[in-house]
Amino acid sequence: MDRRIVITGIGVVTPIGIGCEMFWNNLLAGQSGIAPVQSFDTSEYNVHRGAEVKEFNAEDYILNLDAAHLGRASQFAIAAARLALADAGVEIGSLDRKRAGVSMGTTSGEPREVERFDDAYVSKKLDRIGPEFIQLYPCHVIAAHVASELQFAGVNTMIPTACAAGNYAIAHALDVMRAGRADLMLAGGSDAFSRITFTGFARLGAVAPEICQPFDRFRKGMIPGEGAGVLVLEPLDRARRRGARIYAEVAGYGLSCDAHHMTAAHPEGAGAERAMRQALADSRTNCEDVSYISAHGTGTATNDRLETIAVKRLFKDEAYRIPISSIKSMLGHTMGAASAIEAAVCALAVFSNRIPPTINLNDPDPECDLDYVANSARELPVNIAMNNAYAFGGNNASLILRKRELLN
Amino acid sequence: MITGAGVISPLGDSPARLHDSLGRGLSAIKPIKLFSTEGLGCPLGGEIADFDATKYLGQRNLRPLDRTSRLVASAAQLALADSGWSIEMRNVQEIGLVLGTMFCSLHTISEFDRRALEAGPAYASPMDFSNTVINAAAGQTAIAHNLRDVNTTISTGVTSGLEAISYATELIRSGRARALLAGGADELCFESFYGFDRAGLLCRSNVTAGDFPIPFDSRRNGSALGEGAALLMLEDVALARERGAKILGEVVGHGSSYDCSRGQDSVQAVEAIASAIRHAMSDAFLLPHEIDCLSASANGSRGGDQHEAEGVVAGLNGQTQKLPVTAIKSMLGETLGASGPMQAVSLLETMRDGVLPGIPQLHQVEDDFPLTMARSKNQEADVINGLINSIGFDGHCCSLILSRGEEN
Repeated sequence: MDRRIVITGIGVVTPIGIGCEMFWNNLLAGQSGIAPVQSFDTSEYNVHRGAEVKEFNAEDYILNLDAAHLGRASQFAIAAARLALADAGVEIGSLDRKRAGVSMGTTSGEPREVERFDDAYVSKKLDRIGPEFIQLYPCHVIAAHVASELQFAGVNTMIPTACAAGNYAIAHALDVMRAGRADLMLAGGSDAFSRITFTGFARLGAVAPEICQPFDRFRKGMIPGEGAGVLVLEPLDRARRRGARIYAEVAGYGLSCDAHHMTAAHPEGAGAERAMRQALADSRTNCEDVSYISAHGTGTATNDRLETIAVKRLFKDEAYRIPISSIKSMLGHTMGAASAIEAAVCALAVFSNRIPPTINLNDPDPECDLDYVANSARELPVNIAMNNAYAFGGNNASLILRKRELLN
Repeated sequence: MITGAGVISPLGDSPARLHDSLGRGLSAIKPIKLFSTEGLGCPLGGEIADFDATKYLGQRNLRPLDRTSRLVASAAQLALADSGWSIEMRNVQEIGLVLGTMFCSLHTISEFDRRALEAGPAYASPMDFSNTVINAAAGQTAIAHNLRDVNTTISTGVTSGLEAISYATELIRSGRARALLAGGADELCFESFYGFDRAGLLCRSNVTAGDFPIPFDSRRNGSALGEGAALLMLEDVALARERGAKILGEVVGHGSSYDCSRGQDSVQAVEAIASAIRHAMSDAFLLPHEIDCLSASANGSRGGDQHEAEGVVAGLNGQTQKLPVTAIKSMLGETLGASGPMQAVSLLETMRDGVLPGIPQLHQVEDDFPLTMARSKNQEADVINGLINSIGFDGHCCSLILSRGEEN
């Protein structure tokens, strides 16, 4: 089996559009998905905006399971999986079920189930919580529900490495396929808008009041969001045989841990740099060959500064040449889905030679002095894209995607 | 190569003590003291009543670590010491951590949320928030022991721990990592206990401490929840030999599959279990007659134990008449993410001393029960290759094969 693994399908559920085409067009147009929070009452908070998915109808995508009785993150994940398979032109019936697998990431799993539990507990009505709690809450249900809906009986993994989870899940799927353990993997991440997450980031003072403006001097923080991104991965030979459209090759990845602080990144970006360095080595890529970096770029004061330091430490002078953008300026932080959606963006950038902008970047921070593709999308040859993601727990992950024309 | 192990369990805090307790048929299943079980169907669990992390981690600041993180950081300390990785050596060779956990910090998540509900979001604890991510224990443990290589959390329910060992094995095989701690953990807490109880998965009210659960017995009526952490030190063979490490055993094969019916359809459930075993066997280049014992996942659940017995027979082509079987969840309870690694730790001890623990309460198997070598008494077993199963409530199946180390 070919050990070169390619992306043949993309499915996304995001605050700026559902489905690859709508999402990509809105992203290139610099559209923001940030609006007043609808999921719960924020009157007791000092911030009120979030990036929620609108006009999502689970029944449109969930055909076999009972959509109404699934958590929102599972609903998003199944929708993104169906969209990705359709985009890839894969007939589900033509697959060897035992060699079709799922690898998903998440930050919170199905947080609304535990929130419901807590509401009942606090109001002393715990007897309202029945068997569904254990059936719907544990985070592995996201990957399990995707597999049950699609009847995929192969490898089934859930990787909850917080805000870098999507990259971890895609990296794991790459390993599974390189080891010949599957013919097709659905890989990505999913998270639902969560009161717990919103409360926590608000309490840390990390949530911006109005807009998300990564790398800007006056940036005020991140904006919590929700969504899902799923990629279809196949070996190159299989994709070629069935005449599939190939977006990009998943060429390699790097993982590292800061081992420094749960919520604050290493002060010199050492862990982030190691993950990027390993990703370059794993994909046999030189610094000068990188055409685009999708930043973690949350819009907090610390993240954007340290991420800039880490890129400069690794890329040296090349750092000033490489366009870097943060789509979180438009989508907010979709948590465990973020790096999966950003991996989809890297694939689309490599495929179409276009790079989405960092919006709301009007007055660059002097400490963030790289090219962040401010405010308008750009058209230029994109051969190799790097996707960076960092998380609580000091979990860092970088992914490298390569143009199909570079495959021999 | 497995060069060390660390375990925190209600039946002992070293592999030898755990194995000795299991060999003596001691049960961890007692009335729970950690929280009130009033109004619940099952009052019993396997709790580590006197757990004190300072015994393992010294007087450092443990305040930021919740109970799950303390269990993991303590087990990591023991595994690092057992395998001879001093702090100085860890500065030269980076070590990583792959942790399997079903719930990780559910209790912290729920407490964080309830405090915000009761006192207002401004009073939620920022320190607790950093532990609400499901990768919190892995991140905290990395900080405690300066583990800067790969740091991944896997959450696939009961199979989490075995999946973590499989994941780590693949990273070492592919040369991506050289030394990884791998295993799993889960704590006993009210929230998950309540969920399992309401779902009818726990042994019911007429139970007596120490008599239930009874894996494979016709009287079985559910599992008992336990808690703990177990980690193996995995290294590539060159590194282990170079530093003269003792070699306890080797991970020679692993396999995974998913039952899309999630246990509802017996044919699919049995086939998924058989499929995971077959994958592990072919990965290890072993034939059924070369498997010398089985450490079963059976935990006393009605459907699950039956499916496993049939799945083992199918997976080993019917060659199970002479296969000695143990099910240590009879004494430890269902420790979820820790369960597979607990079985691995116990199996390594069986390889060393030839004692396979009995299933103490097993007296009435059903007619034509296929695993004829599942016994209530200990069995003498000369084990070169041992099979470990983990089978989840939600369709996840994982099998692992360990081979005996050189020093035996």
